[in-house]
Amino acid sequence: MPFPDVKLANRPLHFLYLCDCSGSMAASGKMQALNQAIRQSLPGMAAVARDNPEARVLVRAVRFADHAAWHIETPTPVDQLEWRDLHAGGITAMGEALKLVAAALQTPPMEVRALPPVLVLISDGQPTDDFAAGFEALLRVPWAQKAVRLAIALGHDADLEVLQRFIGTEPATAGRSPRRPLQASNATSLAQYIQWASTAVVGAASMPASRVSETPLEPAAGNIPLPDLPPTVLDLTDDVGPLVW
Amino acid sequence: MNWILPEGASLGFEGLAAPLQIIRGLGGGTQGQVYEVDLEGERLALKWYLPACIARDGALERRLEASIRATAPNEDFLWPIALLRASPASRPLIRLRQESFGYLMPLRPTAYVGACEHAAGRLAIGLRQVLRACFGLADAFHALHLAGLCYKDVSLGNLFLEPGSGGILICDNDNVAVDGADHGAVLGTPGFMAPEVLLGQARPGADSDLFSLAVLLFRLLTRHDPLKGQMELAIRCLDEPARRRLCGEDPVFIFDPLDDRNRPDPIEHAAALITWPIYPRPLQALFEQTFCRGMKQPSRRALTGQWKQELARTLDRRALCPACGQENFQASGAPALCWSCGAPLPEPITLLLPHGAVLAAPDNELHAHHFDALAGEDLRRPLARVVAHPQDHRRLGLRNLQATTWSAETHDGRVQPVQPGESCSLAALARIQSPAGPIAVQRPTRPSPAA
Repeated sequence: MPFPDVKLANRPLHFLYLCDCSGSMAASGKMQALNQAIRQSLPGMAAVARDNPEARVLVRAVRFADHAAWHIETPTPVDQLEWRDLHAGGITAMGEALKLVAAALQTPPMEVRALPPVLVLISDGQPTDDFAAGFEALLRVPWAQKAVRLAIALGHDADLEVLQRFIGTEPATAGRSPRRPLQASNATSLAQYIQWASTAVVGAASMPASRVSETPLEPAAGNIPLPDLPPTVLDLTDDVGPLVW
Repeated sequence: MNWILPEGASLGFEGLAAPLQIIRGLGGGTQGQVYEVDLEGERLALKWYLPACIARDGALERRLEASIRATAPNEDFLWPIALLRASPASRPLIRLRQESFGYLMPLRPTAYVGACEHAAGRLAIGLRQVLRACFGLADAFHALHLAGLCYKDVSLGNLFLEPGSGGILICDNDNVAVDGADHGAVLGTPGFMAPEVLLGQARPGADSDLFSLAVLLFRLLTRHDPLKGQMELAIRCLDEPARRRLCGEDPVFIFDPLDDRNRPDPIEHAAALITWPIYPRPLQALFEQTFCRGMKQPSRRALTGQWKQELARTLDRRALCPACGQENFQASGAPALCWSCGAPLPEPITLLLPHGAVLAAPDNELHAHHFDALAGEDLRRPLARVVAHPQDHRRLGLRNLQATTWSAETHDGRVQPVQPGESCSLAALARIQSPAGPIAVQRPTRPSPAA
């Protein structure tokens, strides 16, 4: 006879992409690279969601150029998600995007009980609107304060200072360097960072992984300990390889 | 996935006479990646560590070497077989700048699925199989602890189940160490960690394993967490500080008989409320022992041997509801109602053995420990199994699984041989003489309610 038809209680885990779609994203295939990176990351993200029955992983996305708008407005279970391509064109209304997210993280529409949301900001340039006002609006929302905030700088023109403010400054702790925006200089590293955020970080936020003694256990260490960044796996196709063999 | 080892390639390793062919990558995490490999025609698994993981855990290599020398406590562990470092010729094929190593272990058969599939309610599995898996888990940790070792990182993620039989496999054995020796960096997985380890007051060891084991058993048996009740509902954002409060600073068992602050919510925590009453009182008492007094006093936690005994006895008390067919675990003597449909359960036929009693329900088994007080509970080699008659399922028989003939005695004193592989009807028999010992058949003293 089957085990009683009962399920583990779970909490929603909201995962939000904030994607820069300004005109500069059209240069050197950055927009396509981002679309590909997110699309490629979805099966891995779905697998992590499956392995964490305590979490109900729900994905949304905001695009920002001349204005900010929802690209995916309904919180969507990751296994039902279909990534439509983002298109580049316009300026960088990052502040407006933060306000949009701030409104979405209010309760309601946010559930009363949830896991810490994960916000991933990806940008290749400087905000052209009032970033500070948007950021203040965001941080007034308790769920945004609790959120795991990650930033990926695309290329060398990204405003690292703004991205650093978005993720917050966390002092160096024993054995760990302070948190910095992730800098993706090519499509491969962008894909790795997106994969890391959508799998390892989602895993850490939904069900805690094994702890090692070096991971600080004190509450001061932040509300979710971030997993290791992906290792630098040597891409043999990028490498010239040994010259003599 | 970016695979560190090239799929399809044959790599040479120090100390291995033959090259190892990397068949395919199976998965990866923050510690390393696991591959299916072929060594001279034998399929094995290879875990390859990331340099960051090796750097963080200085004793990893020493610990693995000790485990490889010690060999597996029993066959339920995917135990390390050999430590591998790439040969100089193969070194450039490994896509890491820094030196790294890995270990070989048995490959998990595909019939075994992650225990989280059961936790999520996606696995077709029966109560008997879940209880057998729990027994297997207690038995494996019993063998591990008796060998003086501890596991340190018991969690749902390190357990695999075979839903058909309730067989288990325990993976990620690379934190195993001699209890108390403290060679290692791992503290455990939050949610499974003992409160004293979570709070940094103790290092993981056999006592904290007992806490984590009880959490895992509870989660398998109830599909719920032993500490998630009203106090969890009061938490809006379940982040690290909240988990620390819930599981470390003020942990309260949801069924604590003396402290009702953390009772399950009828809607949010329905799983716990539905499944907990299924289990007999002595089994519930072991959870209370571990999660109430044992919460703060590690030496008071239920031991692996106690879990083995109670889980085996629970399986012995298994009976099927005549109305709905659901599995029940009856307390001896007392009349009972089916937990699933509420129908009264008839008093079953009981097989009385020198050490214990087994209710006659299809698939219930007799084992050596039912006959020999000195034999530890072991479900691997059944001596007899209750079977339903192929034409009439209400007629139950006992199948001889031993290699020797039994002699069965009817109520009127006739004696009938039962060859190996044959079954004898329990309705007609008074007792059976088996080489293991006598089996007395006790029939209901009160008429069944259906009759």
